[in-house]
Amino acid sequence: MRRFLSFFLLSFLSFCVAASDYHEQLVLRPLPLSALLASFNFRSNTSLSAFEAHNYRFFPRSLGQILQHAGTRELHLRFSLGRWDAESWGARPWDGAKEGGTGVELWAWLEAASEDEADHKWLTLTNALSGLFCASLNFIDGTRTTRPVMSFRPEGNHPSSNSTNMRLFYGVLPREVVCTENLTPFLKLLPCKGKAGIATLLDGHKLFDASWQSMAIDVRPVCLPGEECILEIEQTIDMVLDIDRSTRPRDNPIPRPPPGHELKCDTSKPYHSDDTCYPAEYGANQQWSLAQIFGRPMKGTCPLSDPKIPPVCLHVPDSRGVYTSGGVETITSKDGLSRCFKVQPEAEFDLVLSHVETEGVAPPALAGSIIKPETPSLYAERSFTGYGQERGGVQTILRNPSPDKEVEFVYMESLPWFMRIYLHTLKARLDGSLTEQTSLIDEVYYRPALDRARGTQLEIRMRVPPSSTVFLTYDFEKSILRYTEYPPDANRGFDVAAAVITILDDDDDAKSTPGGSASVSSSNLRTTTLLLSLPTPDFSMPYNVIIFTSTAIALAFGGMFNILVRRFVAADEGPEVSLKRLKTRLQTKLGGLFKKLGKAELKNE
Amino acid sequence: MAETTTTDSVVIPEPVTTYDDGGRKQPPPEKAADVRRRTLVIVSFWLIVLCLGLPIWWQTTTIYRAKLPLDEMLDWADGRACRPVFPLRISVEANDLQHQEAQNLVRLTQHALDDLNDFAGHHLRLQLASSGRPSETTAETDEDDTSALTIRLVQGDSTASALHPHSPVLDITYPPNSIPTQTSSSSALASYIATQLRSTFAEEQAIISYLLSTTSSFPAEQRPQGLTPEAADALAKRTTRSLRYSPTYHLTFSLFTGGHLPSSWDIEAAVAEFMKPVLDILTPIHNFTIDTQIQLYATPGVQSQVLNKEDLSSFVNAAEWPLSPSIGGAPTVNFIVYIGNQTIGLPTAEQAGSDGATATSQSWLVPQWGTVYLLPLPEDKAHVSASTLKQPLLTFTSHLLSLLGTPQSGSLPLRLSTLSRIRSADLLLRASSTLGSLARLSLALPSISIPSSVADGVSKTMSHLRLACDTLGTPGALYHARVAEEEAERAFFEKSMVGQLYFPDEHKIAVYLPLLGPVGVPLVMGLLNELKAWRKRRREAVDNGKAKKET
Repeated sequence: MRRFLSFFLLSFLSFCVAASDYHEQLVLRPLPLSALLASFNFRSNTSLSAFEAHNYRFFPRSLGQILQHAGTRELHLRFSLGRWDAESWGARPWDGAKEGGTGVELWAWLEAASEDEADHKWLTLTNALSGLFCASLNFIDGTRTTRPVMSFRPEGNHPSSNSTNMRLFYGVLPREVVCTENLTPFLKLLPCKGKAGIATLLDGHKLFDASWQSMAIDVRPVCLPGEECILEIEQTIDMVLDIDRSTRPRDNPIPRPPPGHELKCDTSKPYHSDDTCYPAEYGANQQWSLAQIFGRPMKGTCPLSDPKIPPVCLHVPDSRGVYTSGGVETITSKDGLSRCFKVQPEAEFDLVLSHVETEGVAPPALAGSIIKPETPSLYAERSFTGYGQERGGVQTILRNPSPDKEVEFVYMESLPWFMRIYLHTLKARLDGSLTEQTSLIDEVYYRPALDRARGTQLEIRMRVPPSSTVFLTYDFEKSILRYTEYPPDANRGFDVAAAVITILDDDDDAKSTPGGSASVSSSNLRTTTLLLSLPTPDFSMPYNVIIFTSTAIALAFGGMFNILVRRFVAADEGPEVSLKRLKTRLQTKLGGLFKKLGKAELKNE
Repeated sequence: MAETTTTDSVVIPEPVTTYDDGGRKQPPPEKAADVRRRTLVIVSFWLIVLCLGLPIWWQTTTIYRAKLPLDEMLDWADGRACRPVFPLRISVEANDLQHQEAQNLVRLTQHALDDLNDFAGHHLRLQLASSGRPSETTAETDEDDTSALTIRLVQGDSTASALHPHSPVLDITYPPNSIPTQTSSSSALASYIATQLRSTFAEEQAIISYLLSTTSSFPAEQRPQGLTPEAADALAKRTTRSLRYSPTYHLTFSLFTGGHLPSSWDIEAAVAEFMKPVLDILTPIHNFTIDTQIQLYATPGVQSQVLNKEDLSSFVNAAEWPLSPSIGGAPTVNFIVYIGNQTIGLPTAEQAGSDGATATSQSWLVPQWGTVYLLPLPEDKAHVSASTLKQPLLTFTSHLLSLLGTPQSGSLPLRLSTLSRIRSADLLLRASSTLGSLARLSLALPSISIPSSVADGVSKTMSHLRLACDTLGTPGALYHARVAEEEAERAFFEKSMVGQLYFPDEHKIAVYLPLLGPVGVPLVMGLLNELKAWRKRRREAVDNGKAKKET
C-alpha cells in the first residue's frame, strides 16, 4: 500500500512539475477518538539558473539568500509539538518523513571544500535561520550538532560531481517551544501569504492548540531527465485536531460537562441505566464543518496554483454525507475512500461533514464513519529506567505488528554530552527471553561525547522479527555541570532529543540504485523526547561557600593569632572585667568631657 | 598592670590603687624576650599580609587594560593629527603654445586660482603636461595619472569651455590674441580658466567643507568660511540621505502587488538594459549584487488613494513585507515597484521647488534605504514587460546615484572621481571620530577591560589613517580610509569590551566582609595594642631616665 502510494506521489509530482511552479493541497482525514488529521502541503519551484541569478518568483528570497550564503544544497527544518498517538491514530502522515521530534530539528547538506569551512557555513546557516524563523536555532552549536552516517539520505538529486563535497549536519533543539512567532514567518514564505487558498485556514490559535502538529520545510534540488534542474521548496503542516476542543465556541472556551440528556451513552453496557452512563466513542461520527474546526472558512484558491489539482481532499467513506458551499465541484475517487473538491477562485469555501446516525453503539457504524487507520510498520517508545542522581538507563521498546515481515531500520540517538552512555551495556533482547540477542543488531556506529564540545552520536542498524517486541537498553552516567552551565529553571530537567528511526526498505533501495536519480522515499519514526533530571546544586552555593570557608578561616586564624599574641596571667592578676568597672570607666570619661565643656563655656563668658 | 587612658589633651593618670584592694594582684613583670617575641609575631603577620597578600589580591583582581595611545587618538579625533588637504593636480595641455608661453599662462592661472580660493583644504595645483605626450590623450591613459582633470587648450575663435562627457577633460578654446605676454601680471584668459575650474570643483569643495564643518572637533581656523546656511542645509539633506560607504551594496528589486496579478516581470532584461551601464561605471568604487523578488497579496501601510507627504513614510509595510536586509554584511538598497494606481499628492508650488528634485508624482526616495515607485497597470495584466519597467528603473538609477552621495553637477567621470574623494574624506573623519569615542570611553569607564585586540585595532587604524591622510586625493586614500574605518569600528565594538563585567559593589562587600572581618579585626587590634604598649614602654623609659637624672 505504501509503495503504491509513494509511486503515485512520485508520478503525481512529476506531473506537477511539468504543469505549474506552485501547488498546494489540504488533505483532511478523520481519525478515531474524535481526532482530525489535517495535512497542508505547499510546494513551489524555481529553476536552478534563476535561483543562482538571485531572481526569486515563488521561491522566497529571504530563505533563498540564506541558502546561497551558507552553500546549502538541501535543507530540512522541522518545528513540532505534541505526540503522535500511533496506537490509536495508526501510521504517520507522509510516512513520518515530514515530521520532527518535539522542538526544532534541522538537517542540511552543505557544500564545502574543507571541514572548517563546513563548520563555519553550518554556523552561518543556523544563525541566519534563527533570525528568519524567530527560533533559538543559533543555540545549535557543536554540542548539539551531529553528523549522521546511516540515518539520513539526500532526498534531492545532486549531480555526482559535487557529492563528495556535500556534508550532512544534523542539529536538534528539544527544548524549543514552537509557537505563533514561528508560524508567521512560515506563512510569509508562501507566495499567497495566507491571504488566499488553503493557507487562510492556518491560525496560530488553532494550530498550537492541536494534539500534535509538525511544521516542515524541505528544500531540495530535483533533476528530472531531459529537463532543467529545479529547486523545490516544500512546506508542510500536519496537525491532529481534537474536534471537541476546536469546535468549542470561542467566546466560551471553558469546557463544561454536558447536561445529562445530551450525554452519549454506551447502551450495550450491562450497568447502563438512567443514572449510570458509560460514554460512547462517538467522536468519529460527529458533525463538523471547516469553519468550525479552523475558526474561519477558506477564502478561495491561490490563483498561482495549478487549477487542475483540487485544493481540498477529504478521506471518509463514500457512505458519509458531505455538504459543501455552492459552486464546488466534487471528485470522488474510484476506491470510494476519498473525495476531492475543486473550489471557485474567489468564493469562500466551507465543508460540512454530516453526523452519522447510530442506534445505540455499533462498531460497524463506526467503521462506516471513518476510514480505519493504516497500521504502522513499527511502534517505538522510549523511557528512562533506573533511579538516583548518579546513573540511569534508557529503554526503547520496538514492536513490529506485522505478522510476516521483518523490519530493518536505523535507530539514531543524539545525546547531550552530560549523558555519558556505557556502550558495553547496550543490549537488545526479544520480549519473553531474558538473554541478549546479538543477532538483532547488525551494525553500530558510535561517536563518543567530548565534554562541553560535542554530544554522543549513536546509530544502530537493527531488525525486529515479525510480530515480536524488542527491548533496546543501555545505561548512562549523569555528569555534574558547572555552575554557569545550568539553564534557568534547572530543576525542570534537561530535554533529550527524540530518537530518529529510519526504516530501511530493501525494495526501495533496489529500485533507486539502478535509476541513480530517483528520490529516495524515506519512512521515519520518532520517539518522544525525554526529560533528564541531573543533580542540581543549590544556586546560592557560592555565597554559602564563601561564608563557610571564611568562618572556618576566621576560627582557625583568630585562635592561633590570639595564642601567639596574648599574654596569659592568673585570673586574679589580670584587669578586672566587670559591669561595675565599666560603669566607673564610663563615668570618669564622661566626667572629663563635661569638665572640658564647662571650662570652654567659662572662657566664652 | 597599670592602665592609662588618653583623651585628646589631658592625660589623667588612673588611680590604679583604688582597684588594687582585696585579692587583686599585679601580674609578674613580663620577660623582655616575651615582649620581643610578641612584637616579632605581629610584625611578621603584617609583613605577610602586606608583602604577599596584597600583591596577590591586586594581581588577581585587576582588569586587563591594554595600553592605548590615548593622546594620539584624541589628536585624531580633534583633527590635530591630520589636516585634510586635497591637492588636486590638474594638467594643462597646450600643444599649440610655446613652452615658455604655456608656463607663463599656467603661472598666472595658478595665481588667479589662489586669489579666488578661500578654503585651504582644497588645493588645485596646475601643472603643464609634458609636451612629449600625444595630444590625443584618451581617458584610459589619464586614469593611471594622478591628475584629476586635464585642461586641453585649443586655439579657436572665441573664449569658450566645455566638459568632455566621457572623460575628465575640460576643453577650452581661446582666441589667439589672448595669450599673455611674458611680462604681463594678469590675463583675461588665465582668470577665465581659473573661474571655470573653480565652478567645476565648486560642489566638491562645498561638500568637503561641509563634512569638515559638521565634525565639530576640527579647529575653527581650519573650517571654511564661505558656506551659506542655505547651502549647508541642502548639503545636510543630501548627506543624511546617502548611505554609509561600503565597498559592496546589495540591490534588491521587489515587485509588490495588492492582489495576485501580475506575477512575473522581466526585471533581468530591464536591469541589464537600463541600469547596468551606470553600475559598470561605478565598479571602481562599489560592487553591486542584484536580487529580485515578487511578492503578491501585499497590502501597503497606507490605503488611501492619494498619498500625502505624511503617508509616504508609513507606506512601506515593514511588518509584513519581506524586505529583510541581505546577509553578508553589505548594506541593502531596496527598490520597490508597487503595482497600484495610487498617486502622490505633490506639495504646493513653492514647496515643490525644494522637494521636486526627488519626488515625482510616482516615486519617492527613502533616505538611506531605497526607493518606492508606484506603477499603475491594468487589472488583468499578468506580466510586466521590460519596456514598462523602463521609467521605474531610470528613476531607480538616478536615486541610486543620490543614495550613494554622488555630486549632482559635472560630467559623470568627474562626479565619480569627486565621489571617491568625498568618500575618503568622510571615512577618514568617521574613523577619527570613532577613535576619539574609544579614547573617551576608556577614560570614562576605568573598570572596563581593554583586550589587546583593541590596542591592535587602534594601532592598525592609526597607521592606515596616516597613510590615508598623506595620500588624500588619490585612489589609494579611499582604500586606506576604508581599512581604517573598518578597524576602528571593530575595535570600538569589541565584544568582550562592550559586555563589560558588571560586578556591583554590594557583591564585593558580600565577598570580602565575611573573610576580612574575622581575620582583619584580630590583626588590627593586635597591632594597636602593640603600638600602645610600645608607646607606654617608651614613656616609661623616658620617665625612668628623667628620674635617674633628677636623682
